[in-house]
Parts: sequence; C-alpha cells; structure tokens
Amino acid sequence: MPWKVFAASAIGKNHIDTGIPCQDDFSYHLVGDVFVGVVCDGAGSASHSEIGAKACSRSVVDTITAKLEKGETDSVLGVCERDFMVFSVEAARAKLQSVADESGCDFKDLSCTLVGCVASPKGGCLFHIGDGFAVADFDEGESVVSLPENGEYANETYFVTAAEWQSKLRVTPLPAAQAGCVALMSDGAAPFVINKGRTGMYKPFIEPVLRYLSSATQDEGDSGLKDTLSDERTYTITGDDKTLMVALLQ
Amino acid sequence: MAGIIPDVSLIDNSDERAPLVLVLDCSGSMQGPPIEMLHAGLKHLDEDLKADPITATRGRICVIAFGGDDEVGVTDWQDAMDFEPPEPEASGRTPTGKAIRVALEEIEAQKEELRAAGVSYKRPILMLMSDGEPTDEWESAAVECKAAEAANKVTVFAIAIGPDANKQKLDQFSAKGAVRMDGLKFKELFIWLSRSVRAVSKAVKGETAQLPAIDSWASAGTN
Repeated sequence: MPWKVFAASAIGKNHIDTGIPCQDDFSYHLVGDVFVGVVCDGAGSASHSEIGAKACSRSVVDTITAKLEKGETDSVLGVCERDFMVFSVEAARAKLQSVADESGCDFKDLSCTLVGCVASPKGGCLFHIGDGFAVADFDEGESVVSLPENGEYANETYFVTAAEWQSKLRVTPLPAAQAGCVALMSDGAAPFVINKGRTGMYKPFIEPVLRYLSSATQDEGDSGLKDTLSDERTYTITGDDKTLMVALLQ
Repeated sequence: MAGIIPDVSLIDNSDERAPLVLVLDCSGSMQGPPIEMLHAGLKHLDEDLKADPITATRGRICVIAFGGDDEVGVTDWQDAMDFEPPEPEASGRTPTGKAIRVALEEIEAQKEELRAAGVSYKRPILMLMSDGEPTDEWESAAVECKAAEAANKVTVFAIAIGPDANKQKLDQFSAKGAVRMDGLKFKELFIWLSRSVRAVSKAVKGETAQLPAIDSWASAGTN
C-alpha cells in the first residue's frame, strides 16, 4: 500500500473516573494512492456523542471513498473540494438523523466535532468543524495546519450537528509537497502532540513516534499509539479523550 | 500490549487559563478574627489550587481588596502555580461599587491579554465577599455586574459574611443572588472555590463546568 496509517483513541481520565465511555472515534480508508481519514470528538454535553462520533467519522469516510471508487477523483481533489466536503458532511448529518430516529434520541445527543483529510501524492485538503487539530507535513516551518475553532471560551466549540455548520466548515488545501504526511487528532491529544506556537508537531513527541512507526507492524503501531495516548502522564495534561491518526505516504 | 513508544515526551504545550478574580471586603469591620481567617482562607485556596497539576497550570488569579479611604488594591494576575496569597489589612470604608467596576475591567483586560498571546480561556469567576454594606455608589456597579453575568462574560458569586452583611444589597450583584456564609467557614469556602476553578479548568467542550455543592460553607437560612 502506498500509505501507512496508524491510529488510536484512549479514554480520558475524567471519563474513566465518571464511568463515561470514550467519546472520540476515527475512521480511515485508502483508495489507490488516496488517503481519507476523519477524527470525531463527541460533545461531553451530549448523551450519545460516542455513537455520534462513530457514525459521523464512518459516514464521512464512506461518502468520500464511494466517490473516489467511482473514479471521480477530480471532484474530491480538484477545484470543487469545498462543495464536495459540504456534500460529505451533509450526508453524515443525514446519517446522524437516521441514527437518532432509530435509537429514539435527539439529533443533538449525537453532537461531535470533525477533523479530516483527503491526501494523495498530487495534493489534497484538510477539513474541519470545531476543535481538534490537523497537521500536514511535520517538518518545522513547512507544516500546513488546521487550527481548532472555538467560541469565546475554550470549552465552547462547534459541532457537526449545529444549524450553522456550513459556516463553521473550514477547508484548507494541501499542496502536493505537504500531502505525504498527515496527523489528525482530537483536542485531548493536541496539547502534547502540537508545539507551543501551534505551528506544527511537537518534535519531542512526534520524532520518537515516527521512529517507532517506521519499523512497526500495523498492530504494533496501533497499540503503541494507544498505550502512549493512555499513559498516566497524560492525566496531568488533560482529562479528555485522546485520539491520534498518523498517515504516512511510503 | 505494545507498551509506551520509547522516548516519547508527554508534556503540556497548550496554553489555557481559567481566570479567577477575588473581590474582598477589607473594611474596618473585618478587623480581628475575620481578616485573619480570610488570610488563612487565601492560603487554603493557594494550597488546594497547587495540589492539582492541571489547575495549578490553568488557574489564574487576581485579588482585589477594597476598604480604607475608598481604596481598591489590585494584585497582578498570577498563574495558580506562582500565586502568592496576599494579606490585605482591614480598615476604613466599603467601596464595593468601585471594586466591582475595577474587577470587571480587570477581567476584560485579562481576556484581551490572553487573546493577544494566543491563549484560550474559560469563563472567568468573580467572587465578591463582604461583611457589611457598600458605602459608595454601588447600584450602577451591581447593574453592570449582573449585565456582565447575563452576557456570559463572567460567573459571579456574591458571598455575605457574618450577621452584619447586607445580603439584600449583595443579592443585586448576581442573578443568583448572594449566599450567606455559615459562621466563619472561610476555609470551606476557599476549598470550594478552588474546586470550582478545578472544575472550570477541566470542563470539556459543550459542557458547562459542574461546580461542587456549596453546603460545606453556606448557611442553610435564606438570609
């Protein structure tokens, strides 16, 4: 495969202590030389947000994958990429609505944020609603980042389920030179994965990770990430769930 | 189990703050045990904030002491881990109105400063404590305070200390009204306050911070 992708979610200390499930989820898929990945972070205030995060991440990846499999690569990677991301999130919202109808919960009970990427050797884009973080290209000064977007206060963010989601959907184009190495993460992981200036990856974190992943099997890579994200040292940094996906073009 | 990836650094690079402003009545009537207990209470606040690593990093404190000849003393903002609890003296009058106006200005100035530095923040807490009643023009300050609370700019707690505190006037500073402290439970109050800052520090998205119950220090009566 042209891409190696490793990903893991680890439940946050607050959720362990209160018996709440991990509300982060992720999904990814490879179509030829195109990587499609999404991380969703369920709202702490929403009662079934772990279901929402799972359904949303899968739906967005499925929609984009289906398009790519039909050979319509240009509509994904070409000039109309924003329109296509709007379409993909619309499909995910429809999916969330049907999940809500089936399970008898409210649409807003499934609230989650979304940060995703479509990348190929020819370029791609990052797309994002709410908090979380995306970085393409880990070399200092070269990175393209998609920053978290919050309300005035750090605990107020925007969700896929919000009425104004379209105006909160941000799409950042990725030049080919930056599209070969991408990290997507939830806001629980960002404090120790991202550098202080929020311009790219934090070297003392990502360099050992990349070294380890370079010779890791899929299983070793995923569980190494999971164990690292679960490490007790993260408890003093965040009480929140932590998800990290790293996609590396070979 | 693969175990932790070797040599990985796990440190907090994020910058986030949970601001707290204390607006403390240090008028003449606080002399004696009350001011001493207030000093001790601030030390308890300090210890408890520092006891939790996330709160020690994120808590940010400004202490405003009012009294004297309508004087309002303001400390610099300090991160909880660097907080040095002041020991304000008790004397003079009770310029509550002036102190609240200064507090509201400090909060907005602090937000501005944090924004400029790229630091995100939680909704600030303003705690007003008084054992008497305002001696200055306080009504418009109370209106401003309530409006700031209604506009989501700040969380306000008004605390009446001792039997002579005019709770009816303090009630005007928050839509929630004021709460009378039971006896001189300064320690319990400040531990509660620290735990509230802790809850705010850790509040995650879409969640309003769930603050601890006040029954450890609040008087059961309504006045």
